[in-house]
Amino acid sequence: MVLKTELCRFSGAKIYPGRGIRFIRSDSQVFLFVNSKCKRYFHNRLRPAKLTWTAVYRKQHKKDIAAETVKKRRRTTKKPYSRSIVGATLEVIQKKRAEKPEVRDAAREAALREIKERIKKTKDEKKAKKAEVMSKTKTSKGGNVPKGAVPKGPKLGGGGGKR
Amino acid sequence: MIQPQTHLNVADNSGARELMCIRIIGASNRRYAHIGDVIVAVIKEAVPNMPLEKSEIVRAVIVRTCKELKRDSGMIIRYDDNAAVVIDQEGNPKGTRIFGAIPRELRQFNFTKIVSLAPEVL
Repeated sequence: MVLKTELCRFSGAKIYPGRGIRFIRSDSQVFLFVNSKCKRYFHNRLRPAKLTWTAVYRKQHKKDIAAETVKKRRRTTKKPYSRSIVGATLEVIQKKRAEKPEVRDAAREAALREIKERIKKTKDEKKAKKAEVMSKTKTSKGGNVPKGAVPKGPKLGGGGGKR
Repeated sequence: MIQPQTHLNVADNSGARELMCIRIIGASNRRYAHIGDVIVAVIKEAVPNMPLEKSEIVRAVIVRTCKELKRDSGMIIRYDDNAAVVIDQEGNPKGTRIFGAIPRELRQFNFTKIVSLAPEVL
Protein backbone atom coordinates (compact mmCIF):
# COMPACT_ATOMS: atom_id res chain seq x y z
CA MET A 1 0.00 0.00 0.00
CA VAL A 2 1.22 3.45 -0.87
CA LEU A 3 0.61 6.12 1.71
CA LYS A 4 -0.44 9.41 0.29
CA THR A 5 1.93 11.96 1.75
CA GLU A 6 1.80 15.72 1.49
CA LEU A 7 4.49 18.34 1.85
CA CYS A 8 4.82 20.91 4.60
CA ARG A 9 4.35 24.43 3.27
CA PHE A 10 7.01 25.78 5.56
CA SER A 11 9.74 23.16 5.97
CA GLY A 12 9.01 20.99 2.92
CA ALA A 13 8.93 17.85 5.07
CA LYS A 14 6.74 14.88 4.22
CA ILE A 15 3.42 14.72 6.05
CA TYR A 16 1.98 11.26 6.54
CA PRO A 17 -1.75 10.80 7.05
CA GLY A 18 -2.84 11.57 10.57
CA ARG A 19 -0.10 14.13 11.10
CA GLY A 20 0.10 17.83 10.51
CA ILE A 21 -2.22 20.80 10.78
CA ARG A 22 -4.18 22.28 7.93
CA PHE A 23 -4.56 26.03 8.18
CA ILE A 24 -7.07 27.77 5.92
CA ARG A 25 -6.57 31.47 5.45
CA SER A 26 -9.45 33.86 4.88
CA ASP A 27 -8.72 33.85 1.14
CA SER A 28 -9.37 30.08 1.37
CA GLN A 29 -5.76 29.21 0.64
CA VAL A 30 -4.72 26.01 2.36
CA PHE A 31 -1.43 25.70 4.26
CA LEU A 32 -0.14 22.45 5.63
CA PHE A 33 2.30 22.29 8.49
CA VAL A 34 4.09 19.20 9.70
CA ASN A 35 4.32 20.33 13.32
CA SER A 36 3.63 23.21 15.64
CA LYS A 37 7.13 24.60 15.11
CA CYS A 38 6.41 25.17 11.44
CA LYS A 39 2.97 26.52 12.24
CA ARG A 40 4.28 28.92 14.83
CA TYR A 41 7.10 30.17 12.62
CA PHE A 42 4.66 30.70 9.79
CA HIS A 43 2.33 32.72 11.95
CA ASN A 44 5.30 34.67 13.29
CA ARG A 45 6.04 35.47 9.65
CA LEU A 46 9.47 33.92 9.63
CA ARG A 47 10.79 33.26 6.15
CA PRO A 48 11.63 29.59 5.53
CA ALA A 49 14.34 30.68 3.08
CA LYS A 50 16.31 32.11 5.99
CA LEU A 51 16.20 29.01 8.18
CA THR A 52 18.88 26.46 7.40
CA TRP A 53 16.80 23.37 8.19
CA THR A 54 14.05 23.98 5.62
CA ALA A 55 13.92 22.49 2.14
CA VAL A 56 13.65 25.95 0.59
CA TYR A 57 16.94 27.05 2.13
CA ARG A 58 18.71 23.86 1.11
CA LYS A 59 17.49 24.24 -2.44
CA GLN A 60 18.49 27.88 -2.56
CA HIS A 61 21.99 27.19 -1.29
CA LYS A 62 22.42 24.07 -3.46
CA LYS A 63 23.03 21.72 -0.58
CA ASP A 64 21.63 18.58 -2.18
CA ILE A 65 22.90 19.23 -5.70
CA ALA A 66 25.66 16.57 -5.73
CA ALA A 67 23.23 13.68 -5.42
CA GLU A 68 21.00 15.15 -8.10
CA THR A 69 23.74 15.45 -10.72
CA VAL A 70 24.86 11.85 -10.18
CA LYS A 71 21.34 10.64 -10.75
CA LYS A 72 20.97 12.65 -13.94
CA ARG A 73 24.18 11.42 -15.50
CA ARG A 74 23.30 7.81 -14.94
CA ARG A 75 19.94 8.24 -16.57
CA THR A 76 21.35 9.87 -19.70
CA THR A 77 24.02 7.22 -20.30
CA LYS A 78 21.64 4.33 -19.84
CA LYS A 79 19.51 5.20 -22.83
CA PRO A 80 19.92 2.84 -25.85
CA TYR A 81 18.49 3.34 -29.33
CA SER A 82 15.09 1.90 -28.90
CA ARG A 83 12.96 3.77 -31.39
CA SER A 84 12.92 4.51 -35.09
CA ILE A 85 14.26 7.82 -36.34
CA VAL A 86 13.03 9.65 -39.43
CA GLY A 87 14.51 7.64 -42.31
CA ALA A 88 15.64 4.55 -40.41
CA THR A 89 13.24 2.08 -38.88
CA LEU A 90 14.02 0.28 -35.64
CA GLU A 91 14.97 -2.93 -37.48
CA VAL A 92 17.55 -1.22 -39.63
CA ILE A 93 19.14 0.42 -36.64
CA GLN A 94 19.25 -2.86 -34.73
CA LYS A 95 20.87 -4.62 -37.71
CA LYS A 96 23.51 -1.95 -37.97
CA ARG A 97 24.18 -2.18 -34.27
CA ALA A 98 24.49 -5.97 -34.45
CA GLU A 99 27.07 -5.80 -37.30
CA LYS A 100 30.69 -6.47 -36.39
CA PRO A 101 33.12 -3.57 -36.60
CA GLU A 102 35.19 -5.27 -39.32
CA VAL A 103 32.23 -5.57 -41.61
CA ARG A 104 31.37 -1.96 -41.05
CA ASP A 105 34.97 -0.90 -41.74
CA ALA A 106 35.03 -2.92 -44.93
CA ALA A 107 31.81 -1.34 -46.08
CA ARG A 108 33.16 2.08 -45.33
CA GLU A 109 36.38 1.41 -47.24
CA ALA A 110 34.47 0.13 -50.23
CA ALA A 111 32.34 3.22 -50.25
CA LEU A 112 35.42 5.43 -50.04
CA ARG A 113 37.07 3.59 -52.92
CA GLU A 114 34.00 4.03 -55.03
CA ILE A 115 33.91 7.73 -54.33
CA LYS A 116 37.59 8.07 -55.19
CA GLU A 117 37.08 6.25 -58.44
CA ARG A 118 34.21 8.43 -59.35
CA ILE A 119 36.28 11.51 -58.68
CA LYS A 120 39.06 10.10 -60.84
CA LYS A 121 36.66 9.47 -63.66
CA THR A 122 35.33 12.96 -63.61
CA LYS A 123 38.86 14.28 -63.49
CA ASP A 124 39.83 12.22 -66.51
CA GLU A 125 36.84 13.45 -68.40
CA LYS A 126 37.69 17.01 -67.58
CA LYS A 127 41.25 16.46 -68.70
CA ALA A 128 40.10 15.00 -71.95
CA LYS A 129 37.81 17.89 -72.53
CA LYS A 130 40.55 20.34 -71.84
CA ALA A 131 42.84 18.59 -74.23
CA GLU A 132 40.18 18.66 -76.87
CA VAL A 133 39.52 22.33 -76.42
CA MET A 134 43.23 23.02 -76.54
CA SER A 135 43.63 21.06 -79.72
CA LYS A 136 40.73 22.86 -81.35
CA THR A 137 42.10 26.25 -80.48
CA LYS A 138 45.50 25.18 -81.72
CA THR A 139 44.09 24.05 -85.06
CA SER A 140 42.17 27.24 -85.56
CA LYS A 141 45.12 29.39 -84.61
CA GLY A 142 47.57 28.07 -87.09
CA GLY A 143 48.80 25.13 -89.08
CA ASN A 144 51.95 24.65 -87.07
CA VAL A 145 50.98 21.36 -85.50
CA PRO A 146 48.12 20.07 -87.59
CA LYS A 147 49.56 16.63 -88.12
CA GLY A 148 49.57 15.78 -84.42
CA ALA A 149 46.15 17.21 -83.73
CA VAL A 150 44.17 16.21 -86.76
CA PRO A 151 44.14 12.41 -86.33
CA LYS A 152 42.90 12.80 -82.79
CA GLY A 153 40.40 15.48 -83.72
CA PRO A 154 37.46 13.51 -85.11
CA LYS A 155 37.35 11.09 -82.22
CA LEU A 156 37.29 13.73 -79.54
CA GLY A 157 35.30 16.13 -81.66
CA GLY A 158 32.55 13.54 -82.03
CA GLY A 159 32.17 13.43 -78.30
CA GLY A 160 32.03 17.17 -78.16
CA GLY A 161 29.48 17.29 -80.90
CA LYS A 162 27.16 15.01 -79.06
CA ARG A 163 27.07 17.32 -76.12
CA MET B 1 -14.80 27.58 20.84
CA ILE B 2 -17.65 30.01 20.62
CA GLN B 3 -19.23 31.16 23.86
CA PRO B 4 -21.63 33.97 24.75
CA GLN B 5 -20.09 37.37 24.00
CA THR B 6 -17.97 35.98 21.16
CA HIS B 7 -18.09 38.09 18.02
CA LEU B 8 -18.35 36.25 14.72
CA ASN B 9 -18.10 37.23 11.09
CA VAL B 10 -21.01 36.46 8.81
CA ALA B 11 -20.24 34.18 5.88
CA ASP B 12 -23.32 34.91 3.77
CA ASN B 13 -25.23 37.78 2.13
CA SER B 14 -28.13 37.87 4.59
CA GLY B 15 -27.38 41.48 5.50
CA ALA B 16 -25.69 40.99 8.85
CA ARG B 17 -22.00 41.76 9.02
CA GLU B 18 -21.09 40.86 12.56
CA LEU B 19 -22.79 38.71 15.15
CA MET B 20 -22.35 38.28 18.88
CA CYS B 21 -23.17 34.93 20.42
CA ILE B 22 -25.60 35.16 23.31
CA ARG B 23 -26.62 31.52 23.76
CA ILE B 24 -25.67 28.07 22.55
CA ILE B 25 -28.55 25.83 21.61
CA GLY B 26 -28.46 22.14 22.46
CA ALA B 27 -28.02 21.77 26.20
CA SER B 28 -28.80 23.79 29.28
CA ASN B 29 -25.28 24.46 30.48
CA ARG B 30 -23.20 24.18 27.39
CA ARG B 31 -19.97 26.16 27.54
CA TYR B 32 -18.68 26.23 24.00
CA ALA B 33 -20.02 25.85 20.51
CA HIS B 34 -18.00 24.36 17.62
CA ILE B 35 -18.44 23.95 13.89
CA GLY B 36 -21.98 22.82 13.06
CA ASP B 37 -23.54 24.04 16.31
CA VAL B 38 -26.46 26.45 16.32
CA ILE B 39 -26.24 29.58 18.41
CA VAL B 40 -28.52 32.48 19.21
CA ALA B 41 -26.83 35.71 18.27
CA VAL B 42 -27.43 39.38 18.14
CA ILE B 43 -26.51 41.42 15.10
CA LYS B 44 -23.81 43.87 16.03
CA GLU B 45 -23.24 45.30 12.60
CA ALA B 46 -25.52 45.17 9.56
CA VAL B 47 -25.41 46.16 5.92
CA PRO B 48 -27.74 49.16 5.31
CA ASN B 49 -31.02 48.68 3.41
CA MET B 50 -31.23 44.96 4.07
CA PRO B 51 -33.97 42.96 5.85
CA LEU B 52 -31.73 42.24 8.86
CA GLU B 53 -30.96 45.15 11.15
CA LYS B 54 -28.64 45.92 13.98
CA SER B 55 -29.52 44.51 17.44
CA GLU B 56 -31.88 41.95 15.93
CA ILE B 57 -31.78 38.47 17.45
CA VAL B 58 -31.18 35.63 15.01
CA ARG B 59 -30.12 32.01 14.91
CA ALA B 60 -26.88 31.11 13.22
CA VAL B 61 -24.81 28.03 12.53
CA ILE B 62 -21.06 28.15 13.02
CA VAL B 63 -19.11 27.34 9.86
CA ARG B 64 -15.53 28.33 10.69
CA THR B 65 -13.58 28.48 13.93
CA CYS B 66 -10.09 29.45 14.90
CA LYS B 67 -10.10 26.45 17.20
CA GLU B 68 -8.90 23.35 15.39
CA LEU B 69 -11.40 20.87 14.04
CA LYS B 70 -10.28 17.26 14.33
CA ARG B 71 -11.49 14.57 11.99
CA ASP B 72 -11.50 10.83 12.56
CA SER B 73 -8.85 10.44 9.87
CA GLY B 74 -6.48 12.51 11.99
CA MET B 75 -6.77 15.58 9.82
CA ILE B 76 -6.74 18.84 11.73
CA ILE B 77 -8.33 21.91 10.15
CA ARG B 78 -7.98 25.39 11.45
CA TYR B 79 -9.40 28.61 10.03
CA ASP B 80 -8.41 32.20 10.19
CA ASP B 81 -11.64 33.53 11.71
CA ASN B 82 -14.83 32.62 13.53
CA ALA B 83 -17.72 32.77 11.11
CA ALA B 84 -21.40 31.83 11.10
CA VAL B 85 -24.29 31.69 8.65
CA VAL B 86 -27.63 33.19 9.63
CA ILE B 87 -30.41 30.58 9.49
CA ASP B 88 -34.13 30.41 10.20
CA GLN B 89 -35.89 28.01 12.59
CA GLU B 90 -35.84 25.19 10.00
CA GLY B 91 -32.13 25.47 9.40
CA ASN B 92 -32.26 27.06 5.95
CA PRO B 93 -29.89 29.96 5.33
CA LYS B 94 -31.44 33.43 5.13
CA GLY B 95 -28.99 34.59 2.53
CA THR B 96 -28.60 33.25 -0.99
CA ARG B 97 -24.82 33.05 -1.15
CA ILE B 98 -22.08 31.67 1.09
CA PHE B 99 -18.57 33.11 1.24
CA GLY B 100 -15.32 31.35 1.99
CA ALA B 101 -14.32 27.76 2.57
CA ILE B 102 -16.64 25.52 4.56
CA PRO B 103 -15.94 22.14 6.18
CA ARG B 104 -17.64 18.95 5.09
CA GLU B 105 -18.92 18.27 8.60
CA LEU B 106 -21.87 20.63 8.07
CA ARG B 107 -23.48 18.07 5.79
CA GLN B 108 -23.68 15.60 8.67
CA PHE B 109 -25.53 18.20 10.73
CA ASN B 110 -28.14 18.53 7.95
CA PHE B 111 -27.03 21.88 6.61
CA THR B 112 -26.84 20.54 3.07
CA LYS B 113 -28.15 23.78 1.60
CA ILE B 114 -25.20 25.71 3.04
CA VAL B 115 -22.74 23.11 1.82
CA SER B 116 -24.16 23.17 -1.68
CA LEU B 117 -24.00 26.96 -1.82
CA ALA B 118 -20.42 27.12 -0.58
CA PRO B 119 -17.72 27.98 -3.13
CA GLU B 120 -15.27 25.58 -1.53
CA VAL B 121 -15.87 22.55 0.67
CA LEU B 122 -12.90 21.17 2.56
